[in-house]
Amino acid sequence: MKQKSWHLNRRELLRGAGAAISLPLLESMCWSNTAAPTLPKRMMVSYFSYGAYMPEAKSGVPDQRLADQPHPDWSWWPCKNPGPLSFNESSSPFEPLKHYVSYLQGLDHAGGWKLGGHSSGDVFATGADMTGLDKTNNISIDQVAARLNGHQTRYPSLVLGTEGGTGSYGRCKTLSHLGPGRPIPSLNKPREIFDRLFRPYDGQDKTSVQQNLKNQTSLLDLVLEESRGLQNRLGAADQRKLDEYLQSVREVEGRVARSSRWIDRELPSVDASTLNLEVTEEDPENFLRCMYDLIFLALQTDTTRYATFMLESEQSGASELQNYAHYLFGYSGNTHDISHKRPDDISGRWDQWRAKQHAYFLKRLRDTPEADGNMLDRTVVLWGSAHPHQAHNTRNYPIQLAGGNQLGFQHGHLHQFIGDRKVPLANLFLSMLHSVGIPVDQFADSTGEMSEIFQP
Amino acid sequence: MPIAAAQNLSNNDQQTDFFHRYCGDCHGETDPKAETSLLHFPHSASTEKDWDKVVRALTKLQSGSMPPLDYPQPLPKEREAAVNQLRLKLRNELGSDSNKTLTPNSRRLSNFEYENTIQDLLGIDLHLAKHLPEDPSKPYRFNQTPDFLRMTGERLQRYQENARRALDAVIVDPTPPKIHQARREWIPEKNPRELAIEGNKRGSPADGLSIKTWPTHGTYRVRIKASGKFPEGTTDFPLRLVMGYSLASDIGAAPFTTVGTVYLKKSDDHSQVYEFFGRIENHPSEPERQYRRGGTRTGNLVTIPEAMVITPQNLFDDGTLNDRLDLATRPTAVIDWIDFESPWSETWPPPHHQRILFDSPMQNKDSASYARQVIETFLGRAFRRPVRKEEIDRYVRIHEIHHLETDNFEEAIRKTLAAALSSSNFLYHINSKDVSFQQFQIANRLSYFLWGSMPDEPLFEIATAGQLNDPKVIESQVRRMLADPKSRRFIDQLSRQWLGLDKCISIPIHTKRFPRFLHLVSRGQHAGDEVPFRPTIRDAMVEETIAYVGELIDSNQTCFSLIDSDFAMLNERLASHYGITDVRGHQIRRVQLTPKSSLGGLMTHGSILTGNSTGSVPHPVYRAVWLREAILGDEVRDPPADVPSLEENPTDKKDQTLTFAERLNLHRTKTSCRECHAWLDPWGLAFEQYDAIGRFQPMVPPMNTRIRGYDPKKDETLSDYTKYLTQISTVKVSASSTLPDGTVINSLEDLKAYLLTKKSNQVATSVVRRLLSYALGRDLNAHDYLTIESLVEKSKSNGYRLQDLIVSICQSPVFLNQAQ
Repeated sequence: MKQKSWHLNRRELLRGAGAAISLPLLESMCWSNTAAPTLPKRMMVSYFSYGAYMPEAKSGVPDQRLADQPHPDWSWWPCKNPGPLSFNESSSPFEPLKHYVSYLQGLDHAGGWKLGGHSSGDVFATGADMTGLDKTNNISIDQVAARLNGHQTRYPSLVLGTEGGTGSYGRCKTLSHLGPGRPIPSLNKPREIFDRLFRPYDGQDKTSVQQNLKNQTSLLDLVLEESRGLQNRLGAADQRKLDEYLQSVREVEGRVARSSRWIDRELPSVDASTLNLEVTEEDPENFLRCMYDLIFLALQTDTTRYATFMLESEQSGASELQNYAHYLFGYSGNTHDISHKRPDDISGRWDQWRAKQHAYFLKRLRDTPEADGNMLDRTVVLWGSAHPHQAHNTRNYPIQLAGGNQLGFQHGHLHQFIGDRKVPLANLFLSMLHSVGIPVDQFADSTGEMSEIFQP
Repeated sequence: MPIAAAQNLSNNDQQTDFFHRYCGDCHGETDPKAETSLLHFPHSASTEKDWDKVVRALTKLQSGSMPPLDYPQPLPKEREAAVNQLRLKLRNELGSDSNKTLTPNSRRLSNFEYENTIQDLLGIDLHLAKHLPEDPSKPYRFNQTPDFLRMTGERLQRYQENARRALDAVIVDPTPPKIHQARREWIPEKNPRELAIEGNKRGSPADGLSIKTWPTHGTYRVRIKASGKFPEGTTDFPLRLVMGYSLASDIGAAPFTTVGTVYLKKSDDHSQVYEFFGRIENHPSEPERQYRRGGTRTGNLVTIPEAMVITPQNLFDDGTLNDRLDLATRPTAVIDWIDFESPWSETWPPPHHQRILFDSPMQNKDSASYARQVIETFLGRAFRRPVRKEEIDRYVRIHEIHHLETDNFEEAIRKTLAAALSSSNFLYHINSKDVSFQQFQIANRLSYFLWGSMPDEPLFEIATAGQLNDPKVIESQVRRMLADPKSRRFIDQLSRQWLGLDKCISIPIHTKRFPRFLHLVSRGQHAGDEVPFRPTIRDAMVEETIAYVGELIDSNQTCFSLIDSDFAMLNERLASHYGITDVRGHQIRRVQLTPKSSLGGLMTHGSILTGNSTGSVPHPVYRAVWLREAILGDEVRDPPADVPSLEENPTDKKDQTLTFAERLNLHRTKTSCRECHAWLDPWGLAFEQYDAIGRFQPMVPPMNTRIRGYDPKKDETLSDYTKYLTQISTVKVSASSTLPDGTVINSLEDLKAYLLTKKSNQVATSVVRRLLSYALGRDLNAHDYLTIESLVEKSKSNGYRLQDLIVSICQSPVFLNQAQ
């Protein structure tokens, strides 16, 4: 028998108030550096690959020739007309979350237009224009937030992916980038993620941790000195390569300094036995849920406030992920095939399954009270892909925004940004950043805020 | 020299005229194809990117793939003149010193190199790459390039953690540790001692030996006393031991790693003791778990403590397993006992410890000087070059810091050496300008090329003696290194990346159409009752291809053996899959082929054909991309954004998969698809007679036949289903196709013959390029054009033999990093 992500009964236990976490939330709030405990504002970005099934809107926006047809039961878009949401089969998992989700049609990153048919996933969270000579990505939305506010939590951000690592140009396996040419490797092993989040000291006592950190600092100094000595023996191009190493050393220094600051703060006590951390991608549902659970726990304990999650990359061809539809429905092809063939009997169910997993995460947030609302009220969650129905089309992404109701968002509607109303997806990003308290003037190619989704 | 200059100019003008006339239509000023305008070609070349375009144009002109057939063709004389002019331009203006370009040659070790280096440096078989973020990869490209191998803070932190793990493992405490032991016997009167392929009873050796306690670090020894029972017609089988989670109750997700495999042979009729050694850190343990008895809420709480289980597996597989034959026709292992001991060492401290903390008169007298000795010796090996005094001083200082705070000499040394293992000097290939390092850089290039790891003692000695500029010395070293078992790492890595083998393992197989392709089922069982944790035929296929590439290099075959050959590397399982009957035994060996077998060369390998199918049907486009990338060395571009999907096509329903070739035909007539697919599909169609799992299958059911899947109610045995398929297969598969140059071919044999006659230079060049790129650890660029050309010439002169080519590459100035 395959083991479940949540062992029997414990799921009940954890549902709702997050009872497994012994530390009350308010107490955890007191860790924050600000004097008065303010409630955290959180953000999560997740990506699903290869677009979605939307037979009435193959290019991502409604096909006018089908204007007199009823909205299909199986389409990623929940309903036909802009305005209040109603839900079809594909989107049914979100029905209970009606007042927490918005669907946005016609948005995309211009930077991804000219990329290859599968490369635009690289820029989903960055909006960078990668067609230039350098072909380097740029900073992603979560890192913009983390750079400014990341010091308030133990970890500035959490970067997850089902496949792990950075991937390569045009085939990213992470959504997060520190800046040009600096992708952040995504973590994909539940056990490892858990330990990193909640057991960073590996059972050592405080004095020895402190001692270790002190040693590490002096070691890093020596390492830096050593590498600098090396630099003048290299050609210019090689020097630049070694600069990457120096940058990384400084990054680790930053982490060490951070750990030193956080060493006196108590770690949240999270009960690992409630999770099956050994679950692997061969058990799709429980694997995804376990990853979502880890993000939830990280947010709930205020271990971090910004997370990204690459649910599947645009190059899952070498990983077990591509077989999910096969495991689930006995589909004879891989998940990439679905995007090309769009088989009527599988495509919708595949979307629905993916929706179900994401809805599970949103529900966990919604069902966890926080102050006078719930966690979802203060967590803005983006969910989307860089392709619509047509496999290699890189315009008009399927985009769903959820949560953040107490951060100014108003949900429950389908919005269209088509024709004259077309705006860059980066406008939404800018609004998301503002909602979590990041006062930037611009993000990528943004032209302004997206007022439509804010409460009047 | 005004005359020469004037001549050059006029040549350039002629060329411009040539490109204007023959290329200008598509590669003009506005919106040129491939974003390449050739109107002012090649005057305009100034940047690296321009030069790449020059090389691309040159290659296309040489191979005849441009201009396309339906455009006016230049006379052969004109074409030759243009080619020669371009080559001249490259030689005169660009030169071939590619190491001078702006692309870096320094890069970090790949995970593969890192793990090997740690193992060879420390002398322990520790698997550390699994703790690192995965390296990026791109099909058909090698990932050990500066572009791919980047460093991030996250990664550096993992290196630091790994360095600690490595040092904790290699340096032991002086007092001998507690020895953990476990043993289990199977006594004839009490328990079954036989281990069959499946269907083993409780209490049989299939339960394995459960270990309750083990050390955190250490070498282990596992012994098993076993013999085999062989029914008529069977010769041998692999008996594998794995350690990790218990395999008795789970069906697929339980992690474990291999302890070792032994081939039990018919001649071994007495039971023998087999020994295996490994590192305890490499195996996952099953954490403590609790459950309520009876699965109810009120049942007693039962705690199962943390454990590791050593499980023996009978991996017999002759290819008929899925035909529901009786177990009695299969060999079984008879297991007397299994025992476990860790840490295991004949001496204490163990050799890997003594290699670092060696005996020295200073050891007890003057610990500071001893530490210095230890550090100096270790750094020289870890940095893979002579170490400077100031470097030693720096690590001595690190040691002092640590020694002050802990009285434990070993611990201070561990911390110091761990710092060295996270230093850029260890983690990077550094392309230093320092002349005193030159010989060592060559030694490193050789060893990372041919072993994926650091140089060994003999190589260091030769570098120290400064002999690595001598081509003869390089040749003897290359041949020595290829004969060393460590070269299998290179063969494995090269084959997997170059040929994109990993796809074969992950492609979803249509299990109804190919029942039990992946899992075995015997009499009385139904679909779903799979015996897990066994290597499948797909693993054997990948082994086959790697063994084949290895054999070509070992026996110095010509590079054209990649296209076709009269032998294959097979075992009984693979032979049975391909329909060859007279191969017995589980070890892969060289098998002579007859023309009837429809085998020979990479293009008939199951790994390639399966990996480039959809899992249910052949996929001509995937196979064409594979051929053009891996064999012809073309760069096939990613599908562009905005291509309309094929689903508008009325026949695009998932069960009517047989019409794929017809559908492609339709595809090629659509203008939007045609442009790329005209260059792809013709190559792929030649593979059509090989089915989705790589078997030669010239007959298929007629179009639009609904093929029923395997059904245990209708099909008593697997052969019944095979019979059903044969019976409905009444139509010959067409593998006819018109290649881009107009040649008509009718089979894969024709394609092979075409490649060997018409494309031999392109194939040879492609092989040179791949091996050179792998050897240099970077992508090739325009500067390398002339190097490649001369390597191809040289290769031609020694009959295109692969091992000789590897020698030539290692002797080439670009590999030796010499100015030319």
